[in-house]
Amino acid sequence: MRRVFLPLLGVALTIAGWWLAVIVLEIEDYLVPTPPQVLNTLAERWAVLLEHTWTTAWETIRGFALAIVLGVPFAVLLAGSRIFEQMVYPLLITVNSLPKVAIAPILVVWMGFGAGPKIVMVLLLCFFPIVLATTAGLKSTPAEIVELARSLDAGRLKTFWAFRLPQALPQVFVGLKTAISLAVIGAVIAEFVGADAGLGFIIVQSGASSDTALAFAAMVLLSLLSIVLFYAVQLAERLLVPWASEH
Amino acid sequence: MISIESVDHRFRGRAGEVQALAGIDLTVETGEFLTLVGRSGCGKSTLLRIVAGLLTPTSGRVVIDGEPVRRPRRDVSFMFQKSALLPWRSVLANVLLPAETLRLDQAAARRRAGELLELTGLTGFQKALPKELSGGMQQRVALCRALLSEPRVLLMDEPFSALDALTREELSIELQRIRQEQDTTFVFVTHSIEEAVLLADRVVVMRARPGGIRRIVEVDVPRPRSLGHHAHAGRVTELSAELHELLLPNEAA
Ligand SMILES: Nc1ncnc2c1ncn2[C@@H]1O[C@H](COP(=O)(O)OP(=O)(O)O)[C@@H](O)[C@H]1O
Ligand SMILES: [Mg+2]
Repeated sequence: MRRVFLPLLGVALTIAGWWLAVIVLEIEDYLVPTPPQVLNTLAERWAVLLEHTWTTAWETIRGFALAIVLGVPFAVLLAGSRIFEQMVYPLLITVNSLPKVAIAPILVVWMGFGAGPKIVMVLLLCFFPIVLATTAGLKSTPAEIVELARSLDAGRLKTFWAFRLPQALPQVFVGLKTAISLAVIGAVIAEFVGADAGLGFIIVQSGASSDTALAFAAMVLLSLLSIVLFYAVQLAERLLVPWASEH
Repeated sequence: MISIESVDHRFRGRAGEVQALAGIDLTVETGEFLTLVGRSGCGKSTLLRIVAGLLTPTSGRVVIDGEPVRRPRRDVSFMFQKSALLPWRSVLANVLLPAETLRLDQAAARRRAGELLELTGLTGFQKALPKELSGGMQQRVALCRALLSEPRVLLMDEPFSALDALTREELSIELQRIRQEQDTTFVFVTHSIEEAVLLADRVVVMRARPGGIRRIVEVDVPRPRSLGHHAHAGRVTELSAELHELLLPNEAA
């Protein structure tokens, strides 16, 4: 009861505060809309907004999936080979420290206005947390489990599949949850730079026409999208690693 | 038969070299229950891991049934202080793990797993996850797993030391019963004198720095043994006192 009620109360109070501020401070509509205005926009233009939400969601999901497909095997190499690790780890840290926003315009130059640059941007933001967490997970097999595998005559492959990888899964999911929180941001950044669809595109458009209610509606949908995706990853975690949950 | 022949082992650590074992010569007869006792750091685990083939000695060698040990053998099982159960596998799947890695016959392994779980009172818990079991039950599962492949040798490194005294005694008594049904050679490391006297045919008392054998004590108490009142309580007390003295510090002896 409290677990549902208190967060809802928090949201309600924030919205009430926003509304109150708009009225008390006499802020103009075109600067900050009131909650009913945002709701109105959502209700009136839901079909279009939903379409753009789906565009952003689909870009995000593809980028995130690609980050898993590329990141996990990369982490396996990093954890498995000392030489590979020494060779690419410093490079990885350097590349990760680059502001990825700076790459977005170049991606548009290379790949145009379609989904391509958005997917790559999501991939760029998601790749590192997934690689770092998975590598850490694969390297943290307890000593007695490693010795058990050896004493049971398990080969390298069997040791990986039956011992190291399952052991690493809880930490892999730490990385996935960090990544999915960044994923939507990546898609929106890429949409800002050049797009003809998606919630980021809507926000840019509404800025140009001073339709702040529409921009706020898009932001509401963006956060809903982030929350849904985060809980989807959490659900996958519950299903795949039920043994790791406490209680 | 296990023969340990002039085994030395040195670890190269940050603080220089540590001579963990020096000049160990020891023979364990087939079917014997041997316990190794000694204070912490005297090289018991190191010696056991060398016998298991998990560690190669700096010099000397271990021969099991005429064959020098170079790597872990299929007919030697190891049981650790921590249960080392895989937390994502059910009790039954944990016990069946050696069947996968050693490619045992699946049907026979399942039958045997069922028997072992029954023998250790775990029949109702086959589907449970390790985290749902008490520490004593987890060690029972680890014991079943170690016995699944019907090993000729079972090496146990302080397997009960993390358990409370009563559970420990319970498991020791269970282990004696299991032992009567197998023809397995046991090497059992402990720092508990009670456990050593309860279980062993012979107790090897080790000394530290460098790790070596101080004395071998024969436990001539008939089985089954328990720690309660029984006909041989006097002899048990005598042996315990002797071991106690051997284990206390000083080089007076
Ligand atoms: N991997 C290692 N590296 C360096 N020193 C070690 C290592 N393992 C054990 N030692 C040292 O070897 C000695 C014997 O250790 P160990 O066999 O674990 O003793 P025990 O099991 O009797 O407590 C100790 O002094 C310990 O510090
Ligand atoms: Mg030890």
